[in-house]
Amino acid sequence: MQLQTGTYISGVAHGGLIFWVLVGGLFLRAGDPLPVQTTDVSLLTGEEFAALTAPQPSPIQPVQEPAVVQPDLPQDSPAISAQTDETVETSTPDAVAEPEKDPNPQQPTIVPQQPDEVTETAPDVLAPPVQDIATDLAPPSDAPPKATAAPRIAPTPAPETAPDTEIADTVSPQTAPDQNADSQVADKPATAPQQAAPEIVTEAEKPSAAPPRSLRPPSRPKKPTVALAKPQPAAPKENAINDAVAAVVAETSTATAAAPSGPPLTAGEKDALRVSVSNCWNLGSSSSEALSTTVVVMVDMSREGRPTAIKLQSSDGPSENATRIAFDAARRAVIRCGASGYKLPSDKYSQWQNIEMTFNPERMRIK
Amino acid sequence: MNMIKALTLLAACAIIAQPAYAQQRSGPLRIEITEGVIEPLPFAVPEFIAENPAAQEFAANIARVVASDLAGTGLFREIPEDAFISRLTDFASPVQYSDWKAINTQALVSGAVSAGSDGRLTVKFRVFDVFAEAQLGDGLQFGGSTSSWRRMAHKVADAVYSRITGEGGYFDSRVVFVAQNGPKDERRSRLAVMDYDGANVQYLTDDSAIVLAPRFSPTGDRVLYTSYESGFPQVFVLDVGTVQRRAMDVAAEAMTFAPRFGPDGRTVVFSLTEGGNSDLYKMDVDGSSAQRLTSAPSIETAPDFSPDGSQIVFESDRSGSQQLYVMGVNGGDATRISSGQGRYSAPVWSPRGDLIAFTKQANGRFHIGVMRIDGSEERLLTASFLDEGPTWSPNGRVIMFTRESQGTSGVQSLYSVDITGRNLRKVTTEGPASDATWSPLLN
Repeated sequence: MQLQTGTYISGVAHGGLIFWVLVGGLFLRAGDPLPVQTTDVSLLTGEEFAALTAPQPSPIQPVQEPAVVQPDLPQDSPAISAQTDETVETSTPDAVAEPEKDPNPQQPTIVPQQPDEVTETAPDVLAPPVQDIATDLAPPSDAPPKATAAPRIAPTPAPETAPDTEIADTVSPQTAPDQNADSQVADKPATAPQQAAPEIVTEAEKPSAAPPRSLRPPSRPKKPTVALAKPQPAAPKENAINDAVAAVVAETSTATAAAPSGPPLTAGEKDALRVSVSNCWNLGSSSSEALSTTVVVMVDMSREGRPTAIKLQSSDGPSENATRIAFDAARRAVIRCGASGYKLPSDKYSQWQNIEMTFNPERMRIK
Repeated sequence: MNMIKALTLLAACAIIAQPAYAQQRSGPLRIEITEGVIEPLPFAVPEFIAENPAAQEFAANIARVVASDLAGTGLFREIPEDAFISRLTDFASPVQYSDWKAINTQALVSGAVSAGSDGRLTVKFRVFDVFAEAQLGDGLQFGGSTSSWRRMAHKVADAVYSRITGEGGYFDSRVVFVAQNGPKDERRSRLAVMDYDGANVQYLTDDSAIVLAPRFSPTGDRVLYTSYESGFPQVFVLDVGTVQRRAMDVAAEAMTFAPRFGPDGRTVVFSLTEGGNSDLYKMDVDGSSAQRLTSAPSIETAPDFSPDGSQIVFESDRSGSQQLYVMGVNGGDATRISSGQGRYSAPVWSPRGDLIAFTKQANGRFHIGVMRIDGSEERLLTASFLDEGPTWSPNGRVIMFTRESQGTSGVQSLYSVDITGRNLRKVTTEGPASDATWSPLLN
């Protein structure tokens, strides 16, 4: 039994060893072969070695020096003396005295001139120009100024327009002739609003996707307060009624004489007028003081919708100069955009014969 | 019964009167305009009329400088001459407003130049509001030598600018700056002055020593600057007219830098480093009345007076990073005004007194910005690899600063920008330039 056990153990061990030798390599990771440096060698015979080590002639052949040929001297050439030439006198410059050191050396720079004097006087002859012969306010074109490279800040942003696009309030594509159409319509160029941004964007910031401003919700309307009238001493009823009727009739007659007649302008008509004037109200060259000034102007209109007179009604600003600048800007806006007549309903002329326009730049200051 | 009749009559009258009464209460049509546009105002400057042959060249040149000044502000847009419908041939003849309206000219400048045999030049001009068909202000005339034609042109432009915008101009002014040459690692510098538009450059020092931060006096006749000619920074005063200069009378072993004149032209505030600590000092320009303003262990530098001379704004790292502070002119407690992220430096008070311009470094970029004097309403106007050293135009509308381009071959140049952040422009200089300071308007 013991013999059999040893035989079994020996058999298993030998079998395992044989198995390991045959398939053990499969379980081992093949490592990178060690780098082996190889050097090519060749066998030389003794004659070859002697031939290699023997001194070789230089591949550069020495050049034979040309023979020096003495030039033929002319017969009248001067004889060459063996004596040395006379000594040439040389002079040394006079010694320059050492300059005394300046304790406060001046800069060797260009002395700049002071700015030239310019005097300011009233001109000799500056008579005001005589009455202009041109009295028509209307320029040939009522379109707003054409687009420029300079960015325009306007309430309504507008993308950059194509070079051939005309500036207009609305976007419309260019029309082309339709050969199949029954009737031909004149070509119209593409139109688009002038390029504009809603706010100034500096180099340091990127345009925000947020709306330029949010309006504060209006406050809750106040409850009407009813003033309690003090009890008055009772008057005779008959006289009081008569007086009241007389007052109402008088009031009616007065109002009818001064007030415009006909239906009032609709909200849309008023908005159209407001937008028209806004498009020409340019505050780009106004001072910061002028941007803090509100002006109210009274505009008299002709039946064609053109302004005929513009007067400053009132103002609210920090200085008289600012008021002047603010009024100038308002006046330019009214004249420029009304040069060919504002589009107002002619049947309501009495309603817009006089228009009180308030120019309030408060919202423009934050742009 | 009579009572009932009377009441009925009263009610009927009231109903009839209602619309008319309401109409009368409303009066004329009223509209309020709160939205406008911001764009350059179109203007035209036809060639000035030469009143004699000798004035021909000056007339053309002066008109060009006036137009260039106005267009350079970004507030105006010049209408090119080839768009003109009519020409001005006589200074006294009436303006054909319709011709100028047709090309949308809103401001028109007419002028005339005459040159006398004595070398005197006379320039006169008028400004018109074309759509109002009215002259803006009275005509004005300037006289000077022929060599001063550019100054006269700038003066005309200042007057035109003032009449249209309502604020003072800045064209008749000069800029002192550091002109540079040589490679970046071996740059040489010297002080120079030029007209605000880069013309008429004149050098005030040679390039034997590094010079920094020149500052004009309130009258523009002297310049304070920092020089390394003794091997360490030292403040000098230089007379622009004679180029005479002298070191400020401070202890020789002290390093002084970042000087500024006070609005009185007599007081100087500067930074002094002694024993490794920098503090602010104030003294008269003649060296008397020296006064120490700060005594913190931190670095205080870059001081500047408020226009009324009552306060000083400066930068300090007392809170751990460079921030801006304001204190009284005699020192004392300082109030920090900068509150945003990043480091703030080089504050400069606006001539109007309402804003402070500064350099800001944040997120790896440099900015020029402005804020109210209490630190509110901070606005960054520029952004680049390196923007620094703002200086205000005399009217407080424009800021000039130094911009350095990136890289080993980076070059410093002067730029200007409107306080709205628009109209960023490079100032023309002969070579690299930095450390500009604007003078007040010349007299």
